[in-house]
Amino acid sequence: MKRVTLLAEVQQDVCRGCKVCEKVCPVYAISVTDRKAKVKEDACRGCTNCESRCPFHAIKMVKREKPFTIGVDASQYDSGKIRELCEKAHLNPEQVICYCVGVRAEEVAAAIMAGAKTPDEISSVTGIRTGCTIECIQPLLRLIQAAGIELKRDENGWQWYGVTPTAWTLPEDVVQKYNKRGFYFEEDKQLLDRVVHTNPKGEEKK
Amino acid sequence: MNYTELMHEPIKPILPKPSQYGIDPSLVKARVSEMPGMVSLYLRELFPDLPPVLLPGGPDAIKNVRKAAEEALMKVDMSMIKPEHSVNVLASHHGFTLFGGEPYAELLKAIRDVVEKRTGCRDIRLRAGVGMRFRETEEYIKRYGLDTYYNGKAIGVAPIDEGIPIETEIGTLYGIKKVYDADWIIHAHHTDVREVHFHRQVDKAVKPFGMSYARCETRSTYHQNLGPRAANFTARAIFESKFVQSKFAFAAFLNCGPHGVIGADCDNDLYALNDRATFVGCQLYGKIMTLFGEIDKCIAVLDFPCPVPYVFSAGVIYANFTGANTDLYDMESPLPPYTWYTEAFYRRNGQPLLEETPPMNPAIRMCVHNYAWTGYPSEFFSKNIPTVVVGEEQGKLFDTDSMNIGYMDYAVTARSTEQAMQFAYNVTGTDKVIIFDGAMGGMNVSESLAKLLIEKAPEVSERVDNVLLPKWLKQRGVDISILNRNK
Repeated sequence: MKRVTLLAEVQQDVCRGCKVCEKVCPVYAISVTDRKAKVKEDACRGCTNCESRCPFHAIKMVKREKPFTIGVDASQYDSGKIRELCEKAHLNPEQVICYCVGVRAEEVAAAIMAGAKTPDEISSVTGIRTGCTIECIQPLLRLIQAAGIELKRDENGWQWYGVTPTAWTLPEDVVQKYNKRGFYFEEDKQLLDRVVHTNPKGEEKK
Repeated sequence: MNYTELMHEPIKPILPKPSQYGIDPSLVKARVSEMPGMVSLYLRELFPDLPPVLLPGGPDAIKNVRKAAEEALMKVDMSMIKPEHSVNVLASHHGFTLFGGEPYAELLKAIRDVVEKRTGCRDIRLRAGVGMRFRETEEYIKRYGLDTYYNGKAIGVAPIDEGIPIETEIGTLYGIKKVYDADWIIHAHHTDVREVHFHRQVDKAVKPFGMSYARCETRSTYHQNLGPRAANFTARAIFESKFVQSKFAFAAFLNCGPHGVIGADCDNDLYALNDRATFVGCQLYGKIMTLFGEIDKCIAVLDFPCPVPYVFSAGVIYANFTGANTDLYDMESPLPPYTWYTEAFYRRNGQPLLEETPPMNPAIRMCVHNYAWTGYPSEFFSKNIPTVVVGEEQGKLFDTDSMNIGYMDYAVTARSTEQAMQFAYNVTGTDKVIIFDGAMGGMNVSESLAKLLIEKAPEVSERVDNVLLPKWLKQRGVDISILNRNK
């Protein structure tokens, strides 16, 4: 759940239409037409990416006159199916996957079950990737992939590039080669598995 | 024991700095080190075996840092760089918060000058990476005149900038395109221990390849995909890739201990430098970190121009102090009290998913946030440690930070520094105070805490040297005999 209190505002006289803002917006709320950036006010989630990366400092964040809250109530969806999807992505449903907004895996799973199919759609309804915008992309992609949805990158944007390695995909030769150097690959995988399979009562499924 | 001989006047803390991530410096009306009952402890008096420093020092301190950097740079092989080539000097934002930031900026200036002088190459650029405050290095570049020094070729790069796929031993990871858009790269870093709770002093010298020079996908791999101790391999995987190896010229490091800048270290072999940095991190910082673990109860004060977890005392950041109830260097314990992996594994009801998860350092009875910045998700801190923020302005600033919408949900506000401290004394019942204000060469604490630290330091020093250090190095596969050769 996120309280959206900010809105990106473009200073039209400063904007040069370079399109960096539209390449970094995680929810596609800003785009350039006729060499000027324009913000879709309802879509903006106040992450500040456009403001932070505009080379000309043409964008400022202003307080919204009417703040609003976004979020998906996971309790309204089948808990068994949520758990199944999260476990397939190697996540515990209660696990936090966005440290800024506090979105948990179950909320993203619920958003997918509600019909969201892309990272930007999920960010738009849950608020994930609208804080720091950088740390939660992988569990988000993992959940979408686990739901059997094909990931298709926007070649024109920089929003995300692709899924990356996980504890469950590391090549065995790499694990053997480097585990004496302080990389606790196997032990950490076991730890993550314990987290994934801990149920609401605190019992661990073996 | 004569305690008073070891207690000194408080050291002047790092001054507040203008930044979009902090309140206006003029709003910082008082520093906690100026409050009654505060003293400073010099780290070389607590731990006499700490090596001498170049900085802090006299008026020649920065000149001496420059000299050390130039001497180290003269020893490294630069023959691969030809006059017609382009070179990117890669820097990280954290270097600019060390000891006021000037020494790291001086290292970056020295690199530019020596590379040009030795190779004849003139297309030398600065690419300074950030974490989550995407304008942060832009601010430092201007503050230290690096834009002028690099002939207008100095830019800040962020993990959401255009990316470039990098094929590694473990699969595809992603770097920042502008980091790698030159013929050669020079890795400019430091041995400051920083986030030992995350990197556990494993491959610390390599870490920026998975952080400051990498896209968000790679950072997310580090913080979400591999686990708290395997995560560090992300950076090594990128560094070892054919692509990065084909561009890597050498590394130039500012050598830092908890007490100051101790020298410069350059090497074409990053892993050799990495081993030396491991000794600095474990041996020198390990003592002060272990000493912090001896504190039974205290009020922790944030008073430094940096986000909440990154404020400094005795070269150690607050995030590490929140884990000082455990041995952060001991790789046998999987989850430190604070990392994002730990934070992730807390349930909706506020309890950890795994019973053995260590709590945030229970010795911290209260946190007085006198001055610290936004720009890092910090709600976990105020949620788990009673927090008093000084002045409404800081509260308002946090409320407008997309990473900290919830920070003030769990913190209370005091009108002044004096009132915040009085409140903390009244509620906690302790007068032991540790101030994270970046004091150079020592640390500012209350007299009562100073007494405890003076008492404990000799035993801690002996325990680290004889018991903990050999264990820590063995866990990292580092040959301890190198220690004797370094003497």
